[in-house]
Amino acid sequence: MPTAGNAPSCAPAEAIRLEGVSFRHGAVRAVDGVSLGVPPGAFVTILGPSGCGKSTLLGIIAGHIAPAAGRVLLAGADATRLSPEARGIGMVFQNLALFPHLSAIDNVAFGPRARGAARVEALSRARAMLARVGIGDDEAARRPDGLSGGQRQRVALARALVTRPAALLLDEPLSSLDTHLRSQMLELVLRLHGETGIATLMVTHDPAEAMAHGDILVVMNRGKVVESGPPRRLYDSPRSEFTAGFLGPANIVDAAVAGLPGSGRVLVRPEHLEINPSGAAFTRPMVVARLEYHGHEMLATLADGPLRWVARGRGFPPVGTAVVAGASRVHPLETGGPP
Amino acid sequence: MTGRGAWLLVPALLACALGTAGGAALTLRMSLHAPGTGAGLYEPGSWSLASWAVLADAHHGRIIATTVVTGLAVAALSTAAGYLMALAAAPLSGWRFALAMGLILAPRLCGVLAALFGLQRLLPRGWPGGVLAETWLVAPYAALVLVVAMRGIDPALAAAARGLGAGPWLVLARVVWPLSLPAVALCLQLGWVWGLGAFLGPLFLGGPDQATLAVEMQRELFDLGRWPRAAADGVVLSLLCLMAFAASPRGARA
Repeated sequence: MPTAGNAPSCAPAEAIRLEGVSFRHGAVRAVDGVSLGVPPGAFVTILGPSGCGKSTLLGIIAGHIAPAAGRVLLAGADATRLSPEARGIGMVFQNLALFPHLSAIDNVAFGPRARGAARVEALSRARAMLARVGIGDDEAARRPDGLSGGQRQRVALARALVTRPAALLLDEPLSSLDTHLRSQMLELVLRLHGETGIATLMVTHDPAEAMAHGDILVVMNRGKVVESGPPRRLYDSPRSEFTAGFLGPANIVDAAVAGLPGSGRVLVRPEHLEINPSGAAFTRPMVVARLEYHGHEMLATLADGPLRWVARGRGFPPVGTAVVAGASRVHPLETGGPP
Repeated sequence: MTGRGAWLLVPALLACALGTAGGAALTLRMSLHAPGTGAGLYEPGSWSLASWAVLADAHHGRIIATTVVTGLAVAALSTAAGYLMALAAAPLSGWRFALAMGLILAPRLCGVLAALFGLQRLLPRGWPGGVLAETWLVAPYAALVLVVAMRGIDPALAAAARGLGAGPWLVLARVVWPLSLPAVALCLQLGWVWGLGAFLGPLFLGGPDQATLAVEMQRELFDLGRWPRAAADGVVLSLLCLMAFAASPRGARA
């Protein structure tokens, strides 16, 4: 079972292991005592708001940023002081960082050439890798500015994988794509991950993307790992209020104020708030205050005195209708936990 | 630039037309005057190729050759020096970058004559001294151009190259150098044009056998009073500058 948190631990033979890693940008703690493990072959997503230290963390793993404290272990060996070229890690940057003066195939052949392969062999490997990501000979001969956004993403992915890295880091590589291309690219990333079995660490700020595809989800905020674990557990049973709110719509209230069982802060997911329920843990009279249509579902805002609740479903009575709402599941949150 | 924005170029076009083209035309006309007689600097209203004929003699051939070689040497040396300075300064930030730029620009912060007087004490007299002096004067400009170009290169490209297995030297050779080539070409042009017009360096540090066209023009104008010959030298100098521009790589003009 992979581990993550702010306290060091020692799990052997993990593809990537961070132990108490910290880094400052001036006065700001960009990464603050992060410990994190990525098992061989796992697909781990790091989720967090902009500026929470996700990309800095990838930079530290790749060797582009030297941590102020802590250790980076790759396949169990201390790589904290290793140069980026000695780490054997593939990375796709947020802006892709394709070399603008080289053709797509020369971009992909760059890695093998830098690692000593003859030009003919490097080009052959690059051509084969480009074919795997769906880039033909015509596109391979073009420079990045002659390719579409999706093609550039594929070239960047091929370039990162062609050297058969020990781990693959993806720094929000899909953020500039439209929804359709994103899902296509994600499918490609997952297929290649399945084929190669390379431990992959993907940074994203999209909770849906992170939950849908990661074996392990790591939630970060203000440079710290807030929580980590299987996406479903984090969504259904988060420890912290931050995780509960960041992973999707959430009703987070004081149990006493809302008249719910228990004490302290509690979470009720919108899908667990039902209209006219049978067998709910608690029920309260509410009024439908607002409806949002999202195609496959609707979100309803329900007024309960000064409180506002969000419910998720497919059909709701019109705005202004008085209803009885009840929560089928109430999850207590930890107080005084991580940010 | 298209449409109404093109009108913004009018001042530059006027400056070119009046200052450069007009000056060039007047210089060309002066070179076609007959040499003056007695105390006259030239014969007004006359037409003659006499001043051009003298360019073919061996002495003038040597002067032109020295000028061209000086231009090439200043271009190469100033670009190389500027590249090294830019490589050192470009990755810096904050006060370190400000300090580095201050050091690079320091040679331009004192008067040219004062700087050349100091160089005269430090450098050997002769052609190398003259070339080094001119390089000293123009290298800060080359460094400025190259620093701007290098800071325009996305740092993620170097990071990507390192991650792909390239050491620092390979990153320099395969990423930074090719991406800075347009700026290098621009610096070579700048150094070439500056070196062709080298005057103070050769005057202060050059020997009598290493005169450049600019030094020769000064002698013809003020010592010998032969304006048509000085003008002919000026036209040759301008043509050499234009040839450099025509031969420059496409990237430098982009």
